[in-house]
Amino acid sequence: MDPRRLLRKAVLRIILGLLGAVFLWPPAASAQEEVTSSIRRYKDREVSTGYYEEHEVKPRRTRPFVQQKEVVRRYSAPVTQYRPRAAVEPSVRSRMEDSHEGIQFYELRRCEECHVEEAKHSHTVKANLTCRQCHGGEPIAGINYYYSPMNPIRRNAYVCAKCHEGASVSFATFLVHEPKAGDPATRKTFASLYYSNWFMYLLIVGTLAFFGLHTLIWVGKETYHAVSEKMKTKPEAEPPPAEKPEPKEPENE
Amino acid sequence: MSDQVRIIRFKVADRVFHVFIMVTFLIQSVTGMGRLLYHTNWGKAVVGIFGGYEGASTVHNTVGILMIIGFVIHIIYILAKVEWKSWRKSLLDADSLVPRPADAVQFGQQIRWFFGLGPRPSFDRWTYWEKFDYWAVFWGMPLLGISGVLLMYPLAASRIMPGWVLNVMVLFHRAEALLAMLYIFIIHFTIGHLRRGMFPMNEGMFAGSVELEKEKEEKALWIARLQEEGRLEQAKVLGPAPWYRTAYFIFGYTALAVGLYLLLIIIVYRNYIEWH
Repeated sequence: MDPRRLLRKAVLRIILGLLGAVFLWPPAASAQEEVTSSIRRYKDREVSTGYYEEHEVKPRRTRPFVQQKEVVRRYSAPVTQYRPRAAVEPSVRSRMEDSHEGIQFYELRRCEECHVEEAKHSHTVKANLTCRQCHGGEPIAGINYYYSPMNPIRRNAYVCAKCHEGASVSFATFLVHEPKAGDPATRKTFASLYYSNWFMYLLIVGTLAFFGLHTLIWVGKETYHAVSEKMKTKPEAEPPPAEKPEPKEPENE
Repeated sequence: MSDQVRIIRFKVADRVFHVFIMVTFLIQSVTGMGRLLYHTNWGKAVVGIFGGYEGASTVHNTVGILMIIGFVIHIIYILAKVEWKSWRKSLLDADSLVPRPADAVQFGQQIRWFFGLGPRPSFDRWTYWEKFDYWAVFWGMPLLGISGVLLMYPLAASRIMPGWVLNVMVLFHRAEALLAMLYIFIIHFTIGHLRRGMFPMNEGMFAGSVELEKEKEEKALWIARLQEEGRLEQAKVLGPAPWYRTAYFIFGYTALAVGLYLLLIIIVYRNYIEWH
């Protein structure tokens, strides 16, 4: 065969191959993650308490909380009205450097006076932690403030890992202040907890109601039979059956 | 008691498994309830028996792993008991605990009998409620075991799943444990102790044998089958020795007392129990 024809054929094949590859090649991205799965990311190195850049981790993707539309709107919509209390709303405060800024007599107050529900959870009740051991000293930054240690992008390394050595981003998505599973609002914010709660609730009530009734009727019926059998056999065993109506008389009198 | 003709119902291995699950279940109940109610004085006192919250957790985790090992051994045991060459017969005959269509029929008959619509059904060796009691463990153990192990090793668990799944696992673990306790302490105890002919205690699971006369009433099909197959004579065994009977009465009543006490605690502290 003519070597030129062979070369031409090879070049043509390479060009065709490259053209095909254009369609199959993944598009180049400006910042690609090393692995695509949010769960398996850094799996072999996750035990380290390393600091990750924000583009490396996507903590919000693994958070169970679904952001509510209202909250988004509050942010994106331009301020058309004078809303003096806007700064008090928690969604804003969670992004402030000093989340308690402007609260009157703040220095004289205790955390649990306002954060009643937040004060009751396993870390305070069981592990005997104080609020400041996680949330830090004054000024307490909002958890979503960019430089806050509590920011989900570094919470694992700066807060959780103080006790849970080797805490990962995934680990830090555990909700310490979890919403009440039975609360209707939880359906929107943490759906899997809400529906798990209903499932277990119905399972417990269903099982106990069914077998409770089953056992109750059963024991009642057996006892009734036992008593009625005794009533039947007693008169035969006792010699004078005629005495039976006599005890009723004193009762009537 | 000793004059009665008794036939064998549970082998030694079955009874050992039952005693094992009794002891481990009650330890888990006590340590679990103590930790669940740690914010109450009762919880602190109970946890104090085990040397504080950490101590109770260690006991709970260790016994939990023991339970899982026991459960795995039990599965291996029952798989070894199946005669695989004739698996269909071995799994589906009346001596097997695998649910059969007859169970549904007997359940229907029992309900009819409850409301006076039919005669009392006669059962074979295992009744439908006994099968439910047995298979309920196969639902509870994996759920409690898997959620428990995940919560025991949260760092490792959060590597294979998002950390917030553990929030859901806490709920599953607590709710399923409450269901198991309520079922055992109310329904299982009632069936085992309060039914007619069972009071003060259904000794079958401890003695291993049951009275033939009593079983002729309730489990007529079983006795008839034994007679038909000519196995009745070889099923007859001696009753339990007096010392053994004394021992299992003390053991059984201790377990009953612990269970009823915990039931009382669940009722009294119902508003303090947070399963999530």
